[in-house]
Amino acid sequence: MILRTPPPKKQRSEPMHHESPSPLVAAEGPLIIYEDSPLVAPPPESSHQPSDHLLCTYQCRQMVKADVLDALSNAEKQISDYQSKLEALSESLSKAEAERKKFKDQFLYAEQELAAAKGREQMLHDQLLKEVNDSQERFKKHLETNNELKGKLQNEMNLRKKAESSASSAEEKAADLEGKLTQFSQSMEREKKRLHNELAQLKGESKLSVSRISADLERMEFRANNAEKESELLKEQLEDLKKQLNECLNQKNEVEKKFSSFTFQEVTSSESSILIKHLQEELRNYESEVREARKLKSSHEDIELLKAKLLEEKGRRERAESELSKLQEQHISLNNLENELSLWKVIMKDIPDVSCPEDIPVKFATLQKEVIESTIKIGEVNARLKQIEVGLDAAELAKQNAEADAALVKEKAEVLKSEFKRTEHMLSLVTEERDKLRNVINESRSHKNEVADGTVVQELESSLAKKESCIKELERNLHEHKEINDRQHNEIKLLHDRLNNEARRIKSLERESDRLRSEISLLESKLGHGDYSAANTKVLRMVNTLAVDNEAKQTIEALQTELQKTKEKLQALEELKSQSGETGKLVDSYISEKIMKLKEQIATLEKREERYKTVFADRISVFRRACCELFGYKIVMDEHQRPNGIPVTHFTLQSIYAQNDDEKLEFEYESGNTNILANNYTAQPEISHQVDIFVRKLNSIPAFTANLTVESFNRRTLS
Amino acid sequence: MASRSVAKDIITLRGSAAIVSEFFGYAANSILYNRGVYPEESFAKVKKYGLPMLLTQDEGVKSFISNLTAQLSEWLEAGKLQRVVLVIMSKASNEVLERWNFSIETDGEVVEKGVSREKSDKEIMREIQAIMRQIASSITYLPCIDEPCKTKTSKLTPYFAQMFDFYEVSRPDTVSATFGHGSKRHRLPQQDVSLSHSHLMLFTGVFDVLAYTDTDVAVPFTWIESDPKLIANPQMVKLHSFDTKIHKVDTLVSYKNDEWDEQ
Repeated sequence: MILRTPPPKKQRSEPMHHESPSPLVAAEGPLIIYEDSPLVAPPPESSHQPSDHLLCTYQCRQMVKADVLDALSNAEKQISDYQSKLEALSESLSKAEAERKKFKDQFLYAEQELAAAKGREQMLHDQLLKEVNDSQERFKKHLETNNELKGKLQNEMNLRKKAESSASSAEEKAADLEGKLTQFSQSMEREKKRLHNELAQLKGESKLSVSRISADLERMEFRANNAEKESELLKEQLEDLKKQLNECLNQKNEVEKKFSSFTFQEVTSSESSILIKHLQEELRNYESEVREARKLKSSHEDIELLKAKLLEEKGRRERAESELSKLQEQHISLNNLENELSLWKVIMKDIPDVSCPEDIPVKFATLQKEVIESTIKIGEVNARLKQIEVGLDAAELAKQNAEADAALVKEKAEVLKSEFKRTEHMLSLVTEERDKLRNVINESRSHKNEVADGTVVQELESSLAKKESCIKELERNLHEHKEINDRQHNEIKLLHDRLNNEARRIKSLERESDRLRSEISLLESKLGHGDYSAANTKVLRMVNTLAVDNEAKQTIEALQTELQKTKEKLQALEELKSQSGETGKLVDSYISEKIMKLKEQIATLEKREERYKTVFADRISVFRRACCELFGYKIVMDEHQRPNGIPVTHFTLQSIYAQNDDEKLEFEYESGNTNILANNYTAQPEISHQVDIFVRKLNSIPAFTANLTVESFNRRTLS
Repeated sequence: MASRSVAKDIITLRGSAAIVSEFFGYAANSILYNRGVYPEESFAKVKKYGLPMLLTQDEGVKSFISNLTAQLSEWLEAGKLQRVVLVIMSKASNEVLERWNFSIETDGEVVEKGVSREKSDKEIMREIQAIMRQIASSITYLPCIDEPCKTKTSKLTPYFAQMFDFYEVSRPDTVSATFGHGSKRHRLPQQDVSLSHSHLMLFTGVFDVLAYTDTDVAVPFTWIESDPKLIANPQMVKLHSFDTKIHKVDTLVSYKNDEWDEQ
């Protein structure tokens, strides 16, 4: 069978029908399609009815062909449209895919950045942790060093206490030793004093003996003087008596003269005999008086001798008592010395390393050295202590600084932690957004809807932009915070420095103000006091004429009063003179008589003196001759003064048995002491030997002179 | 205040020197009277600085003070005077008992250039008045100058004698004089005052005037160079000062510590 409708066309129309059923329905009537479709479907059915169709007219077929052709063209147009649309869609798809890739890349980039930020955060965190650990370690180290230093301090304190205690004990020992030394020294001094006293006592005793001898000599001399005085007194009495006798004789002569001149008639012999008897009685009376005087003198002499003996014995008794007391004192001193010696020995036993008194200063020197060394050690320990204290202070300061640093670091850590939390939060937000984005991307992939892709892409873009902005903001915030912190730190440091400077300035100013105040007060006091500088000031005083006037006035007044007094005196004197002028003659005669009497008295006294001198010269020459003949020596006496003003009597003795004039002995008598003087004669060996024996050893000049007399007599007689 | 806006008076160097030297003259008289250097019968009352001031009538003292003030005025005009000191000494021992110190600060510009200043005369007078009152009241704390002050009554009589005189002279209405020494204040009946007059002390002191000048000053023939007659360990009391804008005068009294007070 020949088919009028080609089968492939039917096939072509089938897919077209499949693809766009709806527009075909709208374009063609349901007839064609239905027919086609049934044509297609039931093609076998159509074969059954070929005749029927063949029966259709050519027009129908042409119509159908035209319709089919139109439909074909339309379909082709549609197909081309659809193809263009497809191409456009595919292009858009590719674009979307490209954009999707871009977004993916961006997303990955953002993820990388996130990862980098995370890494940075972790780094920062690690750094923070490291810093915190470092600071903690430093803190721990500081604490350890503090503890060590504290331990050292305590050790040093203990050492110091020990050293101080040892120093104090050493000082106490030293003080004890010093006290003991002083005691020793005092005892030594006391001993010395006692020895000196003993020496002095011995000297005194020797002086006493010397004085005894001198006293004996003096006695002898006093006796001689007394004898002289007695002789003088006797002489005086003799002279008085002689004078009286002379006077009586004179009176008698005068009376006799008068008698003879006046009345040789009237005076009877009885009166003259009476007169003579009177005179004789007077003479006898005088003689008796002279005897009594002599007896009195002898008794006086005996009394004086007895008194002298009494005095000697009293002196001896006193000396004996003093010596007894001295003996007792010496016994007491001996006992004290023995006690001290025993104490000394006991103390010596107490002191270690001391066996004899000489070791004590050595021991003391060693102890002093020990004390010095211990003080030096104490000083060193103190210095070390101070250094340690300084180190402690520095360590405490460092500790405080470290604590401050640690606090700061902690704050930083907390701040960073907070920031970290913030970033983590941001991260979580970002991851959530990422997940969302991923989901969106997956959804977009699965649906492959262009419109939906665009919105998702926009959302992604917006979210990414937001993230980026957030990240930038975070970074900016971080930077700002850092800058702010740094600025604040710097400001704080600057402020601290300024504070310190200001505090120092304030202190210095306060000190200056105190100093200035003190200076001001000083200056004010000086000002008030009246001080001045001589460089630019001089002090002038007005000559106080008032005072001068006052003084002048006073002197004038005083002079005037004196003048008045003298005037009054003058007036009184003149009155007296005027008064005395009336009874002038009597007064004159009285005064002249008085003057005459006084002159006569003077004359008689001068005559007496001359008589005494002559009589004394006679008597003394007699005495000297008698002494010479009795003792065998011619004594020549001279008096002169030594340069120090003490009068000294010089005696020169020459024996009557001397063979030549050079054999003279010279003695010096001074206030009770007689000393033999050396000369050529006494320098001879025999004489000097005698002098040594008798004078120096036996202390007896009379024995020496007697011996010399005997020897010279023997020599004379033998020769 | 109207007084404050009063027109100020022009003061020249010469005028200021005259004011200061006059002040010193009256101050010296006041001190001599109040310290009993001369008996009060030898003083006469005059009105000055708004107060009754006492001037000595003794010719010697008068001439002395007038010569002194003339010389001071000369030195003040030359700007050479630095200080004036009135020294009160014991006649018996020549020991310095009191030093009345008047320090003078001179405005150098006025001396060099001869310019004048302005200050109210009343103001200056008021300031001087204050100083005079202080001088008069200084006897309440200054130790007595009569010697020997062994009993309390004898110590007090000179004080209330002087005090009463001052009150009598200046304020005749306030007859009931109050005198004080230290913290005790006693009212004095009239009878005792009259007795106290009879118990007047025998002043045994002399006074002297010292001038501290510049070293280039020529010494006048009535003046001689002297030692400053200082007191060892003095008690010092600073009084008021007055200022003429050309010369500023500070007053200070330093006195020897009284042994009675120290016991």
